[in-house]
Amino acid sequence: MNEMLQGILSWDFIAAGIRVTTPILLAALGALIAESAGTPNIALEGIMLISAFIGVIVSGFTGSLWLAIIFGVIVGTLMAAILAYFALKLKTDIILAAIALNIFASGGTIFFLAMLTGDKGSSASVNSLLIPNVTIPIIDKIPILGEILSGHHSITYVAIVLIFVVQYLMYKTPLGLRIRAVGENPDAAESVGISVVKTRFIALMLSGFLASLGGLFLSMGYVSWFARDMTAGRGWIALAAQALGGLNAFGVAAGSFLFGFTEAASYSLQIFDIPYEFTQSLPFIITIIVLGIYAWRKVKASGKLNVSNSSVGPTEK
Amino acid sequence: MKADKRFTLYRIGISVGIALLIGYIIVFIASFPSTDIAFMKKMKEAFDSANEAYKYFLTGALIRWRITGAAFNQSGFIQWINEAVPIIITGLAVSMVFTAKQFNIGAEGQMFLGAAVATAVAIYFPGIPFVSTVFVIITAMAVGAGFASIPGFMKAKLKASELVTSLMLNYVAFFMGLFIIKTFLRDTEAGSLVSLEFQQQAMLPLLNERYRWHIGIFFALGMTVLVWFIMKKTTWGYKVKLIGDNMKFAEYSGINSSKMIFQVQVAAGAVAGSAGIIELLGYHGRFLWLYSPGYGWDGIIIATLARNNPLFVPLAALFLSYIRVGAKIMGRYTNIAPEIVAILQAVIILLVTAEAFLAKWKQRSINKEATQNEINAMPVQVGDTK
Repeated sequence: MNEMLQGILSWDFIAAGIRVTTPILLAALGALIAESAGTPNIALEGIMLISAFIGVIVSGFTGSLWLAIIFGVIVGTLMAAILAYFALKLKTDIILAAIALNIFASGGTIFFLAMLTGDKGSSASVNSLLIPNVTIPIIDKIPILGEILSGHHSITYVAIVLIFVVQYLMYKTPLGLRIRAVGENPDAAESVGISVVKTRFIALMLSGFLASLGGLFLSMGYVSWFARDMTAGRGWIALAAQALGGLNAFGVAAGSFLFGFTEAASYSLQIFDIPYEFTQSLPFIITIIVLGIYAWRKVKASGKLNVSNSSVGPTEK
Repeated sequence: MKADKRFTLYRIGISVGIALLIGYIIVFIASFPSTDIAFMKKMKEAFDSANEAYKYFLTGALIRWRITGAAFNQSGFIQWINEAVPIIITGLAVSMVFTAKQFNIGAEGQMFLGAAVATAVAIYFPGIPFVSTVFVIITAMAVGAGFASIPGFMKAKLKASELVTSLMLNYVAFFMGLFIIKTFLRDTEAGSLVSLEFQQQAMLPLLNERYRWHIGIFFALGMTVLVWFIMKKTTWGYKVKLIGDNMKFAEYSGINSSKMIFQVQVAAGAVAGSAGIIELLGYHGRFLWLYSPGYGWDGIIIATLARNNPLFVPLAALFLSYIRVGAKIMGRYTNIAPEIVAILQAVIILLVTAEAFLAKWKQRSINKEATQNEINAMPVQVGDTK
């Protein structure tokens, strides 16, 4: 038991926790914006996967880190735009459209990987680049604090900054106000001259942008290659983190860290004869339990059972 | 109403056509030669090899192309039917929950865990022909139903989104299933992680020994009729539909919506639970999945294509497995990876579910029909007034 605690409470563990949290956090912030606009984006998983793929392929074939980042972000945002176009303009059910995009991402990345490299499993043969870590001068010299604050991946720092940016965007800017208005009551928003379709379009694209950063982190930081279905459910965990944190960026960040550290703990626990399958399913079980408690408290607070709408559920027609 | 249905059919046809066209373009680009020859020659070569690839893709499941000519592809045909079996079943399960507008997408996990637990029964239950097969399937269905009751309960009682919980449970089911196989049922003599072999008596009878054509298709079709009957001909099915169409109205008319929401998810879970084990009982004879085979996700595609109508589910499933078998055969003869099917599937779902896609045309045809009806109705009215 003591050993177990030591494993969990080491600096390595904290560093691992932050590393695991980064992609979840970025996607969860994306989920927050989309959910605020009343258009849940469950294509985050696929968007992350596509961006991870594009990052590796572009950096491998052009040798340019910036091109890889730019293309990864553009393609990820474009995926979200496609989702928005189908859901908002062509009136596809947004859940089904997102499932379609996820299927496309999962199969499409394998197809194009095979087409470009001849390998269906991973991009091992591609000499792709890494987005570097950042060492903060001065602070990294301070014991303990330096270990916690310095030396993380650049996208991790970007993600931390984005927590504040998203919170500011949603609650201090006209765009954020419009997004929330559209999400809370589209008819009322429309009546005061806010274009519901346009605002939701922007919100979905922003969520795609954030998720694509998470995807780039996965293949160009967390590991240095692309592997089939490498997102492994992170897009879904991000949705759960958002559901926990509600529409507040700090709450969502707290949820993301909870899931990130649970997953990191599952790696640490692997040393202690706990079956791999159990530690792997731990984050998902915790998500379900926490969601259950959260939902139960909400039901109790409202004092009335009413099943007609759900927090991240299908859009009402 | 008639124009509406006809239009839906057209839209599905056009969506499939567009998807096939996009697929063709991708195959064309993929087969573009990189050798140093004149551009027009390159174009011609790419066309030739793309046409060749599509020939295998679209006909490979039925026709075996030889230099001497074409012959019926028996193995392809059997593979086509066999592969449709599990996805017909998951398609039915998904169509049930979707009819109630419950986005429970846990069919994948229910199917996987159901198969893993039922594997234990198929290995250890005394081998009585028919009886043990039925018992294995019932076990799988019970596990599926039990597992589906978790998101069902959480939605009905706690208002927790079944979308997120059912998804999370897919992962839990996957790891639990693997754990069961690995710890209790593993065949230690086999090179890879597979279960012990099933008892021979538990296996499904075969229609064709060589290519292992099993009677699972009849099970799937029987299930189709059963689900169709329950959903379309019973009060329970009508209540489910009412909840999906208009929850508030259903509640006002005295339907206990949380009870129905729970029940439909559990019932669908039972159906989904049997999807995986049927394939194992018929074809493989042991549990051998290291990855979740994705039949639950296919069920979503199929339910969408079938517009949640149980009778159309087998058609949609046969379509999907047809292009999949075709893609695999194409992959064998060309360098086009069969995963191209995923791209086609995505395009088809997007277009088929796009309400506004071709909507102008729809409106026009409905208007036309309405005018025609008016004209046709005239003389009848005159006659009636007498």
